[in-house]
Amino acid sequence: MTVGGHLAGEIVGRGPASASISLRNVEKVYGAVQALSPLSAELRPGEAVSIVGPSGCGKSTLMRLIAGLEPPTRGDIRVGGAPVDGPLANVGIVFQRDLLLDWRDVMGNVLLPAEIKGLAGLEPRARALLQEFDVASFAGAYPWQLSGGMRQRVAIARALLTRPAQLFLDEPFSALDALTRDQMNVLLQQVQTSEGVTTLLITHSISEAIFCADRVLVMSGRPGSIMDDIAVPFARPRRLALRETPEFTAIGRRIREHFEKAGVLVG
Amino acid sequence: MTTGTTEAPGIAAPVQAKDRSSGAVDAFAGVMWPMLSGLIGLALWEGLVRLFKIPIYILPAPTQIVATIGQHWWYLLSQLAITTLAAALGLVIAVVFGLAAGAAITASRLIDRMLTPWLVIAHAVPKVVIAPLFLVWFGFGLQSEMFFVVAFTFFPVIVNTVTGLKSADPEQILMVRAMGATPSQILRKIQFPSALASICAGIKLAVTLAPVGAVIGEFVASNKGLGHLLIRAVGDMDTSLAFAAVTVFSIFGVLLWRLAEWVERRVLPWHPSQREAFLLRGGVN
Repeated sequence: MTVGGHLAGEIVGRGPASASISLRNVEKVYGAVQALSPLSAELRPGEAVSIVGPSGCGKSTLMRLIAGLEPPTRGDIRVGGAPVDGPLANVGIVFQRDLLLDWRDVMGNVLLPAEIKGLAGLEPRARALLQEFDVASFAGAYPWQLSGGMRQRVAIARALLTRPAQLFLDEPFSALDALTRDQMNVLLQQVQTSEGVTTLLITHSISEAIFCADRVLVMSGRPGSIMDDIAVPFARPRRLALRETPEFTAIGRRIREHFEKAGVLVG
Repeated sequence: MTTGTTEAPGIAAPVQAKDRSSGAVDAFAGVMWPMLSGLIGLALWEGLVRLFKIPIYILPAPTQIVATIGQHWWYLLSQLAITTLAAALGLVIAVVFGLAAGAAITASRLIDRMLTPWLVIAHAVPKVVIAPLFLVWFGFGLQSEMFFVVAFTFFPVIVNTVTGLKSADPEQILMVRAMGATPSQILRKIQFPSALASICAGIKLAVTLAPVGAVIGEFVASNKGLGHLLIRAVGDMDTSLAFAAVTVFSIFGVLLWRLAEWVERRVLPWHPSQREAFLLRGGVN
């Protein structure tokens, strides 16, 4: 999936210096339910980290805590050294559903964060992102006219519009068919390089977690906690064929063994 | 990346090709059968009136009504204009008040609990019965009619505004909150556009109720307008003129409904209800 022979960075330019993310003994309890048992983790600036785990292990809770959408019950979350005490300003989030606004065309949807934050002059950036994601010809179309893959690409463009220091993706490709999902994985690892954002990808697909990351955190079932922290040393840009190499499958086996030991079946 | 670029035209084309041919037949059938039914009904009416020689002050024949309209057209239209003015002014007040009240009820549970019972009671009161009170409160003439129209039309606007605002996608709200949106931005960028289809439905209902409210207002509190004309015509045993007024009023109501639908299409081009029409146009915005 090369786009017009360009690397994305040449078209859209780099974002601001991305920030580190640090979690210390972070814990979340909803009423009587322990959603997240105390966990600690560090994300270096510009690093791409995947969190893989079974459904209901608290992955999405963890993301909402880091994004400042909910406070942790206990523990300390810092982004760029500063404690998180409200929605992070400098983050782009991609959810499982694309959440495109039906009443806005594609361009209007991508420009939404600029409107909310009161930033002007981001139209060229929006156009460049749509170009990079191969949906430029649909800039004036309404979301219902787009396929699922195209809709999610527009959602990623929207998340990247204001050049956030962090990009959080919460099972962004779960609703897509397998082929489209592969394409989105290639696109994502390409964007990670070109934009230089600190990326946190939450997924229950082991191969997606490895393919898109520099590091994979393996989470157990409820209450969630981190069982392993695996470095993914493959050079970028990565091709889908990487997934058939022995090194790649070895990492996959290591993750799967954790789930087997914990007694969870993972899709 | 070679997928996707031709998908939407590909979706649009076959639907368009299939529906164009059958569309013309459907459109013909959709106009012809109702027309035919209407003509049969009118012919029966005309035939019965002539056959049994029913006196004109009891039931005029359609041709006699048409003749009366032709004879008094300027008078009828000028009275219709007065009724329309009262209906339009009342409707504007009802929509503004309805939207504001709907937004307030959605924004605060306290306001919801304190205001909603009053609104339901106000709506439940039989308005025709209290119409004479409007004469006492607001006096004789336009202002009385106007407030009567408000009483008639505010409820559907409020109910549909509240339903619409509450139907906004909570995840979309979470998303813009993560972007740092203020409550007013959430209202303007997510909740209000989500509610627009529902609000339009409420206003459409109000638009058709407004002239009815104005006419009833004129029955009791005015010496002008179609309502007053109707009361006077009946009092004079000029049944033909009364039917002429009712006919003009009904045609006006249908045109008003059509106008409301047309405005709705302009306001909601993205709505699912418009998508078939969009595809039939060949997928061009």
